[in-house]
Parts: sequence; structure tokens; C-alpha cells
Amino acid sequence: MPRAAGAHRVASVVAALCGSLFLLFLVAPIGHLVAAAGASGVAKLFDDAELRGALSLTALTATTAMAAGIVGGTPVAYLLARGRFRGRAALAAALDLPLLIPHPVAGIALLLVLGRESAVGASLLRAGIRVAGSPVGIVCAMLFVSAPLYISAAREAFARVDPRYEAVARTLGDPAWRVFRRVTLPLSMRGLIAAAVVMWARAVSEFGAIVILTYNPKVVSVLSYDRFTSFGLREALPVAAVLVLLALVPLTALRALRPERGVEG
Amino acid sequence: MSQTGADVPFYHMSQLSPLPPSRFPLPALFALLVAVACTRPAGEGGEGGGTLVVYNAGSLARPLRAALDSFASGAGAGAGGTKGTARVTIEQENAGSLETARKLTELHKIPDVIALADYEVFPQLLMPEHVRWYAQFARNRMVLAYTSRSRFAGEIDSTNWWRVLQRPGVQVGRADPNLDPNGYRTLLTLRLAEGYYRTPGLYDRLLSHAPPRNIRPKEADLVGILQAGELDYIWSYESLARAAGLSYVHLPSAIDLGDPADSADYARAEVRVVGRTPRDTLTFRGQPIVYGVSIPARAPHPAIAQRFVAYLLSPAGRRVLRGSRLDALDHPAIVGTDAPAAVAAAARE
Repeated sequence: MPRAAGAHRVASVVAALCGSLFLLFLVAPIGHLVAAAGASGVAKLFDDAELRGALSLTALTATTAMAAGIVGGTPVAYLLARGRFRGRAALAAALDLPLLIPHPVAGIALLLVLGRESAVGASLLRAGIRVAGSPVGIVCAMLFVSAPLYISAAREAFARVDPRYEAVARTLGDPAWRVFRRVTLPLSMRGLIAAAVVMWARAVSEFGAIVILTYNPKVVSVLSYDRFTSFGLREALPVAAVLVLLALVPLTALRALRPERGVEG
Repeated sequence: MSQTGADVPFYHMSQLSPLPPSRFPLPALFALLVAVACTRPAGEGGEGGGTLVVYNAGSLARPLRAALDSFASGAGAGAGGTKGTARVTIEQENAGSLETARKLTELHKIPDVIALADYEVFPQLLMPEHVRWYAQFARNRMVLAYTSRSRFAGEIDSTNWWRVLQRPGVQVGRADPNLDPNGYRTLLTLRLAEGYYRTPGLYDRLLSHAPPRNIRPKEADLVGILQAGELDYIWSYESLARAAGLSYVHLPSAIDLGDPADSADYARAEVRVVGRTPRDTLTFRGQPIVYGVSIPARAPHPAIAQRFVAYLLSPAGRRVLRGSRLDALDHPAIVGTDAPAAVAAAARE
């Protein structure tokens, strides 16, 4: 018995040590960033109009990308979770591909499909919508690199809902859409919110694809790169720090959302 | 900081909850680790003898790669060196010239060799702390690069380019003048063009066809966008356009910043870009485009760096650079003090 307790204690210490090291690895760079430059970043909010512009542009584009990802990605995720069709695995794998592509390459690939020389881009341009060099390009870049994360997580959220609940609702006469709205959606809501949060955060951080499509107007990631190259760390760190501080607000708020009819528990 | 960090985003902590919290005070352990991490500054670990770390401007990526490869394969190993048989591991990092300089000044990452598209960056940002001398070793000129799909590609030439660029629908790309020498050199060329073609207002009209949305951080970033068809023309360097297989318009030498003989004319143009802070401005005067190379004072592998730079400046190195379309100077000039003897000797060959 004492030996088993000793082994348990050693295992616990090792686990705690590993956990602490891992936490340190994740938290220390961000903590250092905020500690070093958080105050000057907040001060900059008041006298740096370019930074304010970049922050609101980032919030606007990342939120638009997230909304587009939810609207377009939720049906796809549901289909992947519930559908039994040929090529489902292939489709799921294809949807992971954007995560695999180096981001500047993703930017060029988007440009080839949405640029003014492409069929889509040319018709968009005729309709007055320019992709490259505009906020539309930023949203496209963000959506491309972050939507796979949403779809993958949302698919898991749907898969965790017991199909029997849906079957019961259907036997009670609910049409499919109503079953989805009244049963599936509430049961998977926590997972969907988590998926959307991850997508939003990934969109906010995107740099490589955005800088190919739209360097100006600048989102925060591009601005911090720009400040670093032009002026050095003193000017770049506050930009990154203020982004971290501000992004913490929606991230925490969304994480705190716990719909009552959660799946887990 | 550790507490907010642990509380907010790291909900996976709950998975460790079976641990009795009193016996294993995770926050204390965490704080200890933070303290340990903070007391040991990260050092630039010196690697094995045969490593050569090179930071260079984007437009030097190909020519330097060629020189490095031929150096590593033995062509240069004997030049000025004694132990020429050791295997050389090359680590090359390409970035904008100013970005490259910032890696040293801000991130304290010190390479063995640093090569920049504008030698002026050495005195402006790196001397005397990081670099005590530099060698001017190659030159370049501004060109207007395009592809066969560019609008009016069949018509444009050295005499009408400034009219073609003003036609409706023509999209011109340029590098960011605040980040990249090519960016402010583009502005200088446009200033010079206004005087050369005696057309007041030409500078502003040409810039209106290269609006902010057509700007990218550095000139090398523009090539892919030109090839994707989003832009019709990009302001670039001759070496880069040739290496990328692009067509380009040869500009009159009075405005292309390529001829040291025209230095006095170039100096008449000036442009203002942002300076040391976002609210500060810096004025650049026109001067010929000359590349500079140096070995930082604290280079981790100075011996092999000296052998490589000596090779780069030697007649053999110049031939390799010219083979990659870089216009290597016949008489590299060394500026500053304490240049290694082997490097100075190679430049005189």
C-alpha cells in the first residue's frame, strides 16, 4: 500500500511538473509581452489613430469571417457528422487542406481564384467589389485559413449529440429543420461556440495570407509586422500587447457562455 | 499574471483536478519555473565549426544562394582559407533589408554574414554597435517589370512607359517605402521622372496608379502578385526581374539610380518616409543602388564568414554573382574600420 501511494505521488509530481512546464511555455511569452508593453499599448490607444483603425478593422473582418464561417460551415459540419454518403472521408480531408498550405501560398491561391484576372474576381469587380487590396480580401484570407477549424470542431460537436434524441423528436412529428433547431442545435451549442471562438481567434492572428491579398488597409497583425520592421520592438510590442488584451474580452465572454442544455454532464 | 493566465484560457487545467491541491501547489511550482526561466537568458548557442548563417535582402536571395552553394561545394573553400575540406552547413534567411537589420538590433540574432540591398542601412542602423565595416559589392537599377499578360505589354517601352502607366485600368505595384529600400527608391525614380520628362504633376499622377492597396511590404512580395495577374506592372530591381524571368522596361539611366556617374543628378531628388517613430520623418536623397555586405562584430563563426566574404568579393565570386544576374562591382569598396585582411585582399584582386 505505501509503495502504491509513493508511486502515485511520483506520478502526480511528474504530471504537475509537465503541466506546469507546458503552461509556462504557453503563458510566459504572452505574459512577458503584456507585462513589457501592455501599459504603453493601452496608452497608444488614445494617441495612435492608425492602431485604433487597425484594431477596429481586425475586429470587423474577423467577426465577418466568423459569421460567414458559421453560416456556411455549420451545414457542412452537420452533413459530415450525420450524413452517410460516398466520399465523406475525402470531403473531410479536403476541408483540412487549407490548414496544411503555407499561408503565403494560400494568399496566392486565393488571388488566382478571386483576383481581377479570374472569372469570379472579374465579375465581382464589375459589381464594384474588389478583393485584393480591400477588407474583402482580408475576410477571404481569414475565412480560408480559419474555417476548417470551425468545421472540424463543429462536426465533433454534432457527432456528440445522441442521434436517438433526434429520432425521438422526429417520431413525435417534428420536421427535420425543427428537430435541428429544437434538439440538435441546443445540445451542440457549447461545442459550436467553442468552435466559433477558435475560428475567430485564428482569424485575428492571420498574417501570411492577408499580407498577400491586402497589405493596406492594415489589420493588427500586419501593423505589428510593419511597426517592427520600420521602428523596432519598442513600437511593435505595444501593438501586439494591446491586441492580446482586447481580444481577451470577447474570448473570455464567449468561453463563459454556458448554455443550460449542455451535452456534457 | 500567472493567475489570470491559469484561470482564463486554460480550462484544460480541470483535467488535473484529481490532484489534491494542498499537496501539489501548482501555482507555486509554476511561479518557481517562471523565476527559473527568467534568470537564464537565452543564448545564441554556437553550432559546429562548419555552419555559416547568412541574413540577406530579398533581392539577394538567388545570387547569394548561388555563391554560397559554389563556396560550400569547394570552389571557395580554398580561397584564403587553410582548412578547406570541412563540410559547410549553410543557413540563409531572406527578408527586407530593414527587417534584416532589425533582427540584429531588436532581436539580437547575430548572423555570420549580413548582405543588404542598400549599404546606407549599415551606417543608419548597424554601425558601430553591430558592424564596423562593410563592403560595397554589387549594383542594381530600378526597372518596371511586367509579364506578357500585363495590360499594354505589347506597347510599353523606355520612352512611353510613363504615359502607359497612366492609362485607365493599369495597376502598378510597389514596395512599402517605409519598410524597404526599393519602396523609397521607387518614389525617388518617380520624382526624377517628373523632372526628366518635364511634366509637372507626373509624380502624383503615377502614384495614383500605384495606390496604397497595390503596396506590399517588399519588392520580392510583388512578383507572385504580378504573376497571378492582379498587377500589370511592378517597380522592381533589374536583378530580381531577370532572375524571376520577367520582362522589364529599361528606364533612362538618369532616373534608374543605376549609374554611379549620375550620382549628382540622383541627389537632386528626395523623398520623405517615416523615421524612428511613427510620428517622425526621415528624408532620403537619390543615390546609386549599391549593395553592401559585412560580418557582424559578434558573428558566431567569424573564420568561415571571412572565407566566404573573401570568396564573394574575389573575381571567382563576382563571376558567380553575375551568373545569377547580379551586377557585381569590379572594384568592391570597403568602408569603415577593422575589415579582415583576407576580405580586404580579395576586394583588391
